[in-house]
Amino acid sequence: MRVLLIEDDELIAHGILVGLRAHGLTVDAVHTAAQAEATLSAVHCDVVILDLGLPDEDGMRLLGRLRARDMALPVLILSARDAVQDRVAGLRAGADDYLLKPFDLDELVARLHALLRRAAGRSVDVIEHGPLRLDPARGEVFLHGRPIDLSRRELALLVALLQARGRILSPDQLKDSLYDFSEEIESNALNVHIHHIRRKLGADVIETVRGVGYRCSMVSA
Amino acid sequence: MTLRVRLLLMIGVSMLLLWGGVAIWMLHGLEQEMQRTLDQRLEMSAHMVAGLMSQNPAAWDGSSGKAGVSTLSMPETVKGLACQVSLRGEVIARTPGAAPQAIDLATPGFSDRNIKGEDWRSYTLDKLGLRVTTSDRLSERSTLLRNVMVAAVVPFVVALLGSLLVLWFGVGSGLRPLERLRQVLASRTPDSLTPIENAPISRDLRPLVNTLNHLLARVSETFSRERRFTSDAAHELRTPLTAIKIHLQVARITHAQEAVVAMDYAEEGVARLQHSLSQLLTLSQVEGDFSWDDGRVAEANEVARLAIRDAAPDATERIVLDSDGNRAELSLPQALAVTALRNLLDNALRHSPAENSIRLEIRRSPETIRFHVLDRGPGLSDKELVLATQRFWRRGSGRGSGLGLSIVAAIAERFGGSFELLQRPEGGLEAKLTLTRKKQLDSS
Repeated sequence: MRVLLIEDDELIAHGILVGLRAHGLTVDAVHTAAQAEATLSAVHCDVVILDLGLPDEDGMRLLGRLRARDMALPVLILSARDAVQDRVAGLRAGADDYLLKPFDLDELVARLHALLRRAAGRSVDVIEHGPLRLDPARGEVFLHGRPIDLSRRELALLVALLQARGRILSPDQLKDSLYDFSEEIESNALNVHIHHIRRKLGADVIETVRGVGYRCSMVSA
Repeated sequence: MTLRVRLLLMIGVSMLLLWGGVAIWMLHGLEQEMQRTLDQRLEMSAHMVAGLMSQNPAAWDGSSGKAGVSTLSMPETVKGLACQVSLRGEVIARTPGAAPQAIDLATPGFSDRNIKGEDWRSYTLDKLGLRVTTSDRLSERSTLLRNVMVAAVVPFVVALLGSLLVLWFGVGSGLRPLERLRQVLASRTPDSLTPIENAPISRDLRPLVNTLNHLLARVSETFSRERRFTSDAAHELRTPLTAIKIHLQVARITHAQEAVVAMDYAEEGVARLQHSLSQLLTLSQVEGDFSWDDGRVAEANEVARLAIRDAAPDATERIVLDSDGNRAELSLPQALAVTALRNLLDNALRHSPAENSIRLEIRRSPETIRFHVLDRGPGLSDKELVLATQRFWRRGSGRGSGLGLSIVAAIAERFGGSFELLQRPEGGLEAKLTLTRKKQLDSS
């Protein structure tokens, strides 16, 4: 899951960045509304964490613009403004959730997973796909009820494919889900991860669509 | 007591007193006039009788001494009025009601007498040996007077009661707009600060409603400013608190180097929180009525030295002090003077490139000391210059509490000084803090 964090306070941004990465999420942090828009137009993000007090623009205006552009991705507002009207205004402007500062890291992670789950049209956290059972929040994978040990990247890759529910994802989209800007990506890294997943879960769990990308196979593994 | 009852009492009582006084005055005058008129009647009657008798003296002079001395009687003319005529001590004529024994005592002129338990007013006239005495029964007089008074007072009392009644309704209808206004006010919720609508209110009350609306607007503005301040203060405190909390949580779930870094960040958050708290505290104390007097003399050069030490403990050489070195005492507590100046230096240092120095000039006049803090930083736009002293305003995502300049402005205001930010023509910012000098008793 790739998260875009829009937060101008470096101290807080750094904390969230490290905290979310420790929970296995891929996070990019930007400090201004302008940077946020540039990032959103360049890479695929699954969810946005938005602080309202940005130096160049009010976060609410940015949100309004994104929604006006039909950008459907889930947005969680993170704010120290606790008045009811602030929260209501945030949710009315198109936010999917509103979390007050100071917050609990675990709660933030849980809410992000919940947002993603809703965006994918599920009501429970666990993704089931044939004999495969995956709990993204806990990072657990079961095949025929047996726990399978996947690395952080492999798990993220598998979640991205399962969330897509049969849609084909290009290698670039998959890389966006796995790596943030700060990370160096080796050219064959994606292939290596897919190879490992196929080895652990069976070769037909991920289907290669030549020249286009990958999708999780609809045939039960 | 309602306004209506009070108005009625006030107007009623004053009306009663005034008109009552007038009535008493009038009645007193009336009584005197009546007594005078009745006395005149007595006198005129006596003269008339004497005149009639003297026209034909033979009628009574011829029969002197013998015939009809005591029997010539006159008919009773007016009830209560008696008359007696005597010649050389002998009564020759009298009305039936007159008392004979009283006549001898009579002296010429008016006199009051009590004869057989009745009060009489009599007039005696001596003329040509005749003595004519006319008398009025005083009880008759007072009956007459009472009748006249009743005739005068009853309409007056009726009119007074009538006007009180009219007053009651008049005051009620006159106060109706006020009552309507009261109902409008009473039906508002306690936290409603919207202006009162003018529509159903009479023109006389419009000034009052306007004043009320002005007051409501001011109160509403104060409320929203305070609310904004509270909200801003909460925001300021929550932000570092969030940083602390999140880094502590990160430290718990990470290991080795990452955990150490997280703890460092958490500590930075604590420092920021502490700074924000102390700035908030300072501001509320400067704006409140906290007493700062620590007994220490605030001497301009000493204040500058302390402020430089506080602002740049490791790099005092970045601040160039320009002062003539003469002692000059300020009229505010040392701690506050240092705080104000340190905030200005902090700001200048924060917004200047590290290699640039800051200039601090101290200029004195007989009344004031001016501190100029000059930097070569990016300065502020005209719009930002206005915003700069607002609480919690920061340029961009600056690191300060956003209260530094507000504190400087508040200190200057409280101690009769002034504070100004100016864009320097050659680039950078000039902060001008003017503080008043202590009035010296001896100028040594």
